[in-house]
Amino acid sequence: MLNEIANFLTSNVSNSSAVANEAELGDGHVLVAPESIYNCCKELKASDEFQMNVLEVISAVDYSDRIEVNYMLASFLKNSEVILKVKLPKESADAVPEIDSVVSIWKAANFLERECYDMNGINFRNHPDLRRILTPDDWEGYPLRKDYVVQKEWHGMEIDPEDKINKGDHFFFKKVVEEMDGDEKKVAYSWNGEQ
Amino acid sequence: MSSIDGKEMGELGQPVSEKIKSDLLTLNMGPQHPATHGVLRVEIKTDSEIVAEAIPHLGYLHRCFEKHAEHLDYRGIIPFTDRMDYLAAMSMEWGYCLAIEKMLGTEVPRRAQYLRVMIAELQRIASHCVYIGTYGIDMGAFTVFLYYFDEREKILRIFEEISGARMLYNYIWLGGVWNDVTDDQLRRIEKFITELTENVKKYHGLFGENKILEERLANVGVISKELAYEYGATGPVLRGSGVEWDLRKKRPYGIYEELDFDVAIGQGLKGQVGDCWDRYHVRVQEIFESIKIIRQCLDGIEEGSIMGKVPKVLKVPEGEIYMRTECPRGELGYHLVSDGGKTPYRLKVKSSCFTHVSMLPDLAPGQMVADLVATIGSIDIVLGEIDR
Repeated sequence: MLNEIANFLTSNVSNSSAVANEAELGDGHVLVAPESIYNCCKELKASDEFQMNVLEVISAVDYSDRIEVNYMLASFLKNSEVILKVKLPKESADAVPEIDSVVSIWKAANFLERECYDMNGINFRNHPDLRRILTPDDWEGYPLRKDYVVQKEWHGMEIDPEDKINKGDHFFFKKVVEEMDGDEKKVAYSWNGEQ
Repeated sequence: MSSIDGKEMGELGQPVSEKIKSDLLTLNMGPQHPATHGVLRVEIKTDSEIVAEAIPHLGYLHRCFEKHAEHLDYRGIIPFTDRMDYLAAMSMEWGYCLAIEKMLGTEVPRRAQYLRVMIAELQRIASHCVYIGTYGIDMGAFTVFLYYFDEREKILRIFEEISGARMLYNYIWLGGVWNDVTDDQLRRIEKFITELTENVKKYHGLFGENKILEERLANVGVISKELAYEYGATGPVLRGSGVEWDLRKKRPYGIYEELDFDVAIGQGLKGQVGDCWDRYHVRVQEIFESIKIIRQCLDGIEEGSIMGKVPKVLKVPEGEIYMRTECPRGELGYHLVSDGGKTPYRLKVKSSCFTHVSMLPDLAPGQMVADLVATIGSIDIVLGEIDR
């Protein structure tokens, strides 16, 4: 199935450079070039062979040098599904990478892309209404980035005041911060102490 | 458009004139409003009683479950999944456990499989009971709320006995379930579902077949098949639009393959296919289908262990998985990315309510404000799942 889709995309979308990655464990995916995502989605929805008529969810995963965006497509007519993956390079830690919006293909993408923008910091070109959706409009930073540090104050309100938060957690955080030489970013990146 | 004495008349019987300009009135429905079933705020622009635009604002219950999950070990996440859809906590746990078990290759014992299906279907009934009950309140029928909450209470009593909690259970664990049930409890479940069949039939006659409700819901908030696909609607909302799509049939997980049940779809009995009444009716039929499934489980349940073999220190091998299950409100998907560590690298949740609520800007224009309440009620949202 993945190979068929990769072949289909290679022959129909010229710059897609689609590669099928089968997985031994879990689910495989089809990797496509970021600049071709709009055309790939359009072709997959329009094709008689696959009829990917539903966009289930968009899931973005943050890595130190890139953000991977996964488009879970499904066909309720053919009873099949596929994960389309793109790798967006990130020049610096604060950079907000850009990708084409697919709202004009599936309306479901409207809210899903807004959530991605809000949580992971991805700019969707040609999105009709790209605003934050889960956090307030003037929130700072992108919470699901691995190096995210919660802001200290919002409109005069202290965030996570010491006397209000779970004391057990608080001491745990403090201990980890001490072990990481007080570098909060390091703590937020991975609490396993790796990287 | 009609004409009176040669003058063209608008929709509300007002003469169409460019000189008369009416401003739209902005109304905030929510976040504290009983008909939004939680803390949803819908910004409505109205032209007298007609809704011109509806913009949902989310995030009032946002706790960033996905960030929490990156910091917790795999077993510790289960109680957090409960708190997403708090009306169907068992279903949330099950979907998560299935994803991890698939990555670990864990075999779940047969008895636990039966218990999971039984519990999940009881949860589906409980969740639909809340839906119909609160929908009754939205539509101005208070009695039906009390009837259905009575039934739900009986299910919660069963859950309390089995798991020790009434709403947030932490019952389905990786590899099996936490606690076994006794034969006496099984007998009581059987007695309960026998009574429930009769009761739901009675309540449906009182409430669903009521002429007032029919008039109120038929041809309101029609979601066509195309619109449902476009927005990625799932669960009862999609089935209400006449699409036979149920993951329990199409992608069987657990032991659903061995069980015999039908998929209820909207047929447009009172109006068009995909109107509010159809979505209500699909859920009533699903209660009967769930009862059918539970009865088969009670007949077929096997003796044996309830926990499979799961390593004590849990490390999920490197890889990713997207696992979907059929929850009371629609499809729930977990996208897990593991880097081989003790915590997930990323855990993304696909929430069905989130996609359903994004339909509102398309459904609302042209409706009366009171019909918007019916529409929001009929898609059955839980804000804990939307905001996560």
